[in-house]
Amino acid sequence: MHNVTAPFKKTLLLLFVIACTVITGGPFLWVAALSLRTTPEIFDHPYSFPMHPHFGKFLKAWTQANYGQYFWNSTLVVVSAVFLATLLGAMAAHGLVRYPFRGTRATRFLILSGMMLPPQMLVLSLFQIMFSLRLYNSLTGLIVVYVATQLPMTIYILESFFAHIPQDLFDAARLDGYADFEIFWRIALPIGTPAVLTTALLNFIMLWNEFLYAVVLLTDNSKRTLPLGIMFFMGGHQIDVGMMATGLMITIFPVLLLYAFFSETMIKGMTAGAVR
Amino acid sequence: MASRIEAKEDAGIPRQSRDWVPLIVFLGPALVVYAGFSLFPVLKTIYNSLHVMKPHNVVEFVGLGNYRSLLTHDEIFWKAVKNTALFSVFGTVLDVGAGFLLALCLFAKVPLARFWKIVWFSPVLISYVVVGIIWVWIYDYNWGIVNTVLRWFALDALAHSWLGDPHTALWAVLATQVWKWAGFNMIVFMAALYGLPPDVLGAAELDHCGWLAKLVHVILPMLRPTVVSLLVLSLIGKMMVFDVVWIMTRGGPLWSTETVSTYVYKRAFDWNTFDLGYPSAIAVVWFILILVFVALLTGSLRQRDKLEY
Repeated sequence: MHNVTAPFKKTLLLLFVIACTVITGGPFLWVAALSLRTTPEIFDHPYSFPMHPHFGKFLKAWTQANYGQYFWNSTLVVVSAVFLATLLGAMAAHGLVRYPFRGTRATRFLILSGMMLPPQMLVLSLFQIMFSLRLYNSLTGLIVVYVATQLPMTIYILESFFAHIPQDLFDAARLDGYADFEIFWRIALPIGTPAVLTTALLNFIMLWNEFLYAVVLLTDNSKRTLPLGIMFFMGGHQIDVGMMATGLMITIFPVLLLYAFFSETMIKGMTAGAVR
Repeated sequence: MASRIEAKEDAGIPRQSRDWVPLIVFLGPALVVYAGFSLFPVLKTIYNSLHVMKPHNVVEFVGLGNYRSLLTHDEIFWKAVKNTALFSVFGTVLDVGAGFLLALCLFAKVPLARFWKIVWFSPVLISYVVVGIIWVWIYDYNWGIVNTVLRWFALDALAHSWLGDPHTALWAVLATQVWKWAGFNMIVFMAALYGLPPDVLGAAELDHCGWLAKLVHVILPMLRPTVVSLLVLSLIGKMMVFDVVWIMTRGGPLWSTETVSTYVYKRAFDWNTFDLGYPSAIAVVWFILILVFVALLTGSLRQRDKLEY
């Protein structure tokens, strides 16, 4: 009995798994196909394979549809913000772990509670604040906001990693005459590389996809990041589906590239906060 | 907390250091940025919620007036609360349930598990702007895949403008949200499943325990802490939902997908009233509600945990 039903069950399970994969992966493959086809072709046969792929569409999207500009804006904002959040976060985490003082617990609580703050509690007054600081509609302003909002999670992950580095290492370095900052730069940071890489990847993905702060704090077309640029096209009356699909592919390409190389790190990093 | 400090003393870190200069150098920059652009805005939002802002920089103190009109006169707000509640409850259950199902598939030793896992997780990494637009196309009346499949099976009568009909729009957005987040819950469940003691699972097998019985009586009770933290995490996220709704429907049609967050955004930036006070009051009310929910949920679910063992 058991032997008769086992292969049947196994096949059923496999069929279910394949169905799930088609539902999850299918939309991506579909958009990839759309990105190589023109809008008239798409409206004729929305689900056909790109028989005559128009690779030129990517060039056209990049230059004429302004996706090149959006891409560089996104890159500039996200790379700067990730760099700053990682650096400031690592310094703060090191400070919290290695230089305990009377207010360490309170400071830690204050920073980590930032992970619970809904963006809606910040975004309304950030609009005002950035306006009065003349940082409204500026990429610098968006970078500052991104750093501030990503710091709590960055510090949370790095602090727990740094706490496991034995203090002996730091004492030895001090005896060797290392200065405080040298100790951080040449010991804590190199040993913490895996955690630093995880937080950097995590911050990159979250900020590359960020929408709410960007839509509130930027208005000029020349300053739009990729998510805003795409939404701008969505708002038009005549939607050029083919061109939008090309834009979508340009947007997800960097993420997929990173995912191809760091899939395990990214999967572990994204879910790190949920597992206690 | 106390145990944590002791543990650190074991690691050789002094209880208190008197080096103020390096402490300020290390902690200062992050604290300044965080305080200036996260904590201060929160306080300012609370302050704003007690005021009405009129054109020409006139700010008038109204005390709890915004809160009063919000809770008593604002029908759209209550509509948004109802939608957000539906979205949060069903979204959370479906998300966590779907994630658990996917994790069980991989745990059942399906071939190529690593490959499926990587594909199933990928939507988590993709921007809601991209996901939202793809799904707007999937739901398209004329050429979307949902209606195309229905027509293939000659079910033309069921073909539908999924996002255009106030009765289906919220559920269509909800399906997109489950599609995006199921993979996240799957990974967390996988880690928990592989962390289960193998001897307990083996014992259940020796007792000729059927897989369903094993699931209900052995696996699920042991996964309880994971389920609790995923439910809480998922619920918080959904109570703040903005991106996916804004991109797919902008809260329409007829406020059928209006959530609290999209309503806050509309009141602040789309209605051209220049009044940030009223939307701030909405944000504050909702923030307090989220905090209360989280406290209640973690409290009650953890409590029952303790009683069971």
